[in-house]
Amino acid sequence: MIEDADIRLSRRRFLGLMGATAAFAAGCSRPDRGAIVPFNKRPEGVTPGLADFYASTFQEGLTAYGVLVRIREGRPLHLQGNDEHPGFRGKTSPRAIADVLRLYDPDRLRRPIVDGRPSDWARAEARILPALKAARKPVLLLSGALLSPTRRALVEDLRKALPGGLVHAAWEPACGESEAQASRACFGDERRSRLRLDRAEVVVSLETDLLAGERTEEIAGFASKRAPAGPEGPMNRLYAFEGAMSLTGANSDHRTPWKPSRAAALAFALARALHRKGVPLPSGVDAAALAPFDLDALAREQGASASLLHGLVDDLKRAGRAALVAAGPALPPQAHAACHLLNAMLGAEGRTVDAAFAPPGEALAGLQDLRGLLRSAAAGKFAAAVFWQANFGYASADPELWKSAAAGLPLKVRIGLHADETAQACEAALPEHHWLEAWGDFEPASDLLCLQQPAVGPLYDTRQGEEILLGFARALSKDAHALPADYREYLQRRWRREVYPAGSLVPFESFWQASLHDGVLRRRAAPRPPRRLDGRAVNAAAAAALAVPPPPGFELLLSPGAGVYDGRYANNGWLQELPDPVTKLTWGNAAALSPSDAQRLRLQDGDVVRLEAGGRSAEIPVVVQPGQAPGVLSAALGYGRRSGSVASGVGVDLYPLLGAASVSLTPTGAREALPFAQRHHSLEGRDAARSLSLSEYAESRRKGRPERPLARLYPPQRFPARKWAMAVDLSACVGCGACVVACQSENNVPVVGPERVLKGREMHWMRIDRYYAGPPERPRVLLQPMLCQHCDDAPCESVCPVNATNHDSEGLNQMAYNRCVGTRYCSNNCPYKVRRFNFFEYAAQTREPAGLAFNPEVTVRPRGVMEKCTFCVQRIQEAKAAARAAGRPLREGDVEPACAAACPAGAIVFGDLRDPSSRVSKLALSDRGYRVLEELGIRPSVTYLADLTNPAGPEERRGA
Amino acid sequence: MAPEATLSPASLDERVLSAAERKPPAAWWLALAAAASCMSLGFALMAYTLYMGIGAWGNNRPVVWAFDIINFVFWIGIGHAGTLISAILLLFRARWRNAISRTAEAMTLFAVVCAGLFPLIHLGRPWINFWLFPYPNQRGLWPNFRSPLIWDVFAVSTYFSVSLLFWYLGLVPDIASMRERARPGLRKLVLTVLSLGWRGEASHWRHYEKAYLLLAGLATGLVLSVHSVVSFDFAVSLVPGWHMTIFPPYFVAGAIFSGFAMVVLVLSVVRRTMRLEDIITPHHLEMMNKVILATSCLMAYSYLVEGFTAWYSMNPYLHHIFKQYLWGTYGWTGWTAIFCNCLIPQLFWSSRLRRSAPVMLFVAVAVLIGMWFERFVIIVISLHQDFLPSSWHLYEPTLVDYGILLGSFGLFFTLVLLFARLLPVIATTEMKAHLPREDAHA
Repeated sequence: MIEDADIRLSRRRFLGLMGATAAFAAGCSRPDRGAIVPFNKRPEGVTPGLADFYASTFQEGLTAYGVLVRIREGRPLHLQGNDEHPGFRGKTSPRAIADVLRLYDPDRLRRPIVDGRPSDWARAEARILPALKAARKPVLLLSGALLSPTRRALVEDLRKALPGGLVHAAWEPACGESEAQASRACFGDERRSRLRLDRAEVVVSLETDLLAGERTEEIAGFASKRAPAGPEGPMNRLYAFEGAMSLTGANSDHRTPWKPSRAAALAFALARALHRKGVPLPSGVDAAALAPFDLDALAREQGASASLLHGLVDDLKRAGRAALVAAGPALPPQAHAACHLLNAMLGAEGRTVDAAFAPPGEALAGLQDLRGLLRSAAAGKFAAAVFWQANFGYASADPELWKSAAAGLPLKVRIGLHADETAQACEAALPEHHWLEAWGDFEPASDLLCLQQPAVGPLYDTRQGEEILLGFARALSKDAHALPADYREYLQRRWRREVYPAGSLVPFESFWQASLHDGVLRRRAAPRPPRRLDGRAVNAAAAAALAVPPPPGFELLLSPGAGVYDGRYANNGWLQELPDPVTKLTWGNAAALSPSDAQRLRLQDGDVVRLEAGGRSAEIPVVVQPGQAPGVLSAALGYGRRSGSVASGVGVDLYPLLGAASVSLTPTGAREALPFAQRHHSLEGRDAARSLSLSEYAESRRKGRPERPLARLYPPQRFPARKWAMAVDLSACVGCGACVVACQSENNVPVVGPERVLKGREMHWMRIDRYYAGPPERPRVLLQPMLCQHCDDAPCESVCPVNATNHDSEGLNQMAYNRCVGTRYCSNNCPYKVRRFNFFEYAAQTREPAGLAFNPEVTVRPRGVMEKCTFCVQRIQEAKAAARAAGRPLREGDVEPACAAACPAGAIVFGDLRDPSSRVSKLALSDRGYRVLEELGIRPSVTYLADLTNPAGPEERRGA
Repeated sequence: MAPEATLSPASLDERVLSAAERKPPAAWWLALAAAASCMSLGFALMAYTLYMGIGAWGNNRPVVWAFDIINFVFWIGIGHAGTLISAILLLFRARWRNAISRTAEAMTLFAVVCAGLFPLIHLGRPWINFWLFPYPNQRGLWPNFRSPLIWDVFAVSTYFSVSLLFWYLGLVPDIASMRERARPGLRKLVLTVLSLGWRGEASHWRHYEKAYLLLAGLATGLVLSVHSVVSFDFAVSLVPGWHMTIFPPYFVAGAIFSGFAMVVLVLSVVRRTMRLEDIITPHHLEMMNKVILATSCLMAYSYLVEGFTAWYSMNPYLHHIFKQYLWGTYGWTGWTAIFCNCLIPQLFWSSRLRRSAPVMLFVAVAVLIGMWFERFVIIVISLHQDFLPSSWHLYEPTLVDYGILLGSFGLFFTLVLLFARLLPVIATTEMKAHLPREDAHA
């Protein structure tokens, strides 16, 4: 049986438990009521006030992110990327950063629930194990992607132990299935390749969000090719063909609205055109199969520029191996096959599309597979079912089928964090550890293993999901002692057996500790031979692409929500309030449609429409999206949850429409106010966010910068020691929002909720402004992170009647919350409107234990005071103290604000402007550099580097 | 003046001072009940705001100032007429001021009380409002003397003190007259204390006249300075639409304009209900209406200069915001302000209309509405679309906002009603000084 109190506590676990208990006890009482007692005996290795960092791994779908967990007094507080993790450059996804809040989610299940009543583990086992023991039919295990060799071994052990056998399927509603299908057809396996944007010169994106927030590695690779030293480059060129406006399209050099149903045809037409320009087809691919795909006809059909498409063909041919063509998960398999063909023709396969170290593919169940399993369950083919990770009760896309499956299963067990939709249908709901409390390993590449270790002891009477399954296996197994009682031991045993290099001179314990310390283990692995494209599969795909009839009604594109993903993070307020990077919508989803469709149907933002497909429908407000392809509707999944105090009722559940290629749209006449974080979308001809094409950049450099020093009435501010400043490269920035979340986590920025976002009272210290320029059918998109500019002659400072905001000797514009009386005059006088006012007592609305996520280095602001970005002054102070303790001066790189540390593109650089050798000094003098609203004479400390685009020809402006 | 000729000091005393000695009529009680109810509602909503936070209002970002500051500027403006009438017109020896000065001064005071509430309750943390005052403290912290809000604190508190003194000083001889008429009792005792031992001796009069003149001199500067300083709140900032050099004179003219409108409104009611038509004569009101007409033209001129500045500066931000004044979402408020402030008072070019009670009542109400909306235009429209379009946001007041606005009118009229019953609404001593002497030969 699983022993709850593990007597073999490791030192770390002990400390974690200790710390968490202490912090929890402290966090539950209001600080002004409880006495603050110092440690009588300080635990070894813990210095109160100093943060520790532990390496761990965050998994989401088929991606594993190496992270460092910052821990203060036993509490995990902040996540950042692990710089040992290759390709990620020490960065991580915004959702990974935000997931620390889920650890402290007040709605977490705290003890097992059996038959609807709070219970304990012994009773839960008594309810489950006899049924499993007596099972003559197989048990169904439905999980999310495993991505872990040890988890896979565990599933095998469980299979062996179950008398009636086990049917396991992994389902990730947000991962899509066409990519795997195409890979299976074209290459014979499901290995997923890495897209090496750091190697690509010409990138073609077909309805794929290469630069979505979670694509940390792709963003880093893309950004490395986006900020050249001068107008001569080198700089990559991104072509996007998409129905919905994505961050990829927003950052592209040429974005063409393109119907997703015609994306495969476009890729095949490009292949044909390349072939006609002399690029040989891979063996087995029939030129005749490509013959029906004509670029010019397609251009006419989609209203695109034919010269652009022909230019693209030339570009691809020129780039050769350095080209990359990628298709998105929403596209059918034939589009992916066509991309494989293009990449193979160009030689990009194996270069920019890198499968050399792809891990063994994990067969994810498709929607049809899942429905098949649920139908079998309804028919009584399984003795029991265990639902782990993915929320099948919510996302199975077929509520009736889910109900009948639940009725056909004698025993259903939910292993999860919450009493969610799935748990509500189950006899037993077993609470699982949050990943920050759990052990694990992941294999994102065949030469890389990532370790997950607990950063804190379990907050509640929960068990790690793997450990619950292990407990089942142990209890059912004939040879109970062959399996250890806890998953750490199981993991370690497997590592000793299979990972630890035989004949190593290092003892296993040291090897294990070193791996834990690093969080990742890079292994020697032979690169796999290049994949061979099966020509017949391509021919078949071409035929299939040709046979696609134009869908009736609107083409539907469903994608995971930028914050809530497949719905699993919907209870996380930070992610609900993180604006969608394109629409800037918070707290909910909306169906995007093109301006011309909106005009035709007389719809405006917020008008509710009914979408119907295959007998199912959903009512959802619309948002008029510039750049959307006419006839295409797109919306985010993961909303409309039916459980969770934050999540339930926010947005609309679109899973019932999952799998539908097209929908019909009927206006309902109803109207809903949508909580946009930004409501005005045009720059009105102002130059706050600047963008240059490479040729314009060359021109401006040739002309030189017009030097127009502003007249000054007062002597300039003096900064004797140093002058903190920031540079933001708009060309590198893709607008993913990692900085926004990191700032929120670091600086205790409150969540205000949809009603207040609607009123214009959101609190983000760091925001990303998004502007559209040009015609709404084909807009250019400008993205600009905006935060306090720490002006030397700050207009906010002079108007504060009580000196609550003032300047320090190092150039920081400080805010003394204690002194603030809340006249709000500073906000009026701030031309950037980055100051945020506490209209209510937001901190009092924190439901415990969410308060444990507060950073103790940053004041939690009371109501009635103004707040704003501090350049993470707490980090500056910490770095100064550390430098002083080490007896050395502060050096470049010692201080990194949370936003800069989180930016996967490396677009944010922070440092000392007085040091001429610092990066920020050099960037401040860049010929792309400018300061927003510099003409007001307030001398902001943030230099923006103008966005650069690399359009194909001088006449071809971006997006045209 | 013909009507004054029929007045004698005794009849003046009888008619003005006796009001406080009679039982008030039912209409007065009704009016007081209505005003006090509004006032109570306002105070309740202020308490609610204090409990909930500024979030109870419609204020947002970027419109962090809205009804709170609109109401402040509106009431401060109303509070300009009294001092102007008492001080400047006294210095200019405009005799027509005598009949109306007392009421106008009282209104000034009450309006400043209303105005003073708003900066207080608009604070995020009003319980530490004393940090805005320069008082010695062991932390060695002072207010920021560069901030126009601190100038405001000084300007408004000085104005209030001087207005109070001025009003009270003028009241002393009248209170003494009331004391003489009062029967022994509590009322007499209070009047005795308030009259500061005034016996009407020649030396009293000499000192009184000197002090009154000195205070008039002091107050004259304040009439011009207070609203100039209030306008600095806007002019000194860099918000497009606020940052303009015309603001001080423009604000002062607007303040006198709206203040006179309020005086006309109140006086035309008071003279009717208290039967003072022969003391407060159409001539007095006509003179006031002439001032309204003159300041209305000044307002129109200021609006034109604002528009010219927006155009001539070639400042795109200013240009944009000026377009918003008239053609944006809130454009109707701009047109309301122009219509009420510039067009309607033009009726007063006709002397018949200038002397018509219904017309002047209509114009006064229109001017008050127009001037309130003018402040809405200046504050809300300028704030809602400033430099970075990403932050633009519309403003929508809540019921609490409307309630507090109503409450401030309730407070004002409660005070006016109490004043009308408890204290002499006409400066009888001054009136008497200008009555035709009984022993004079015609």
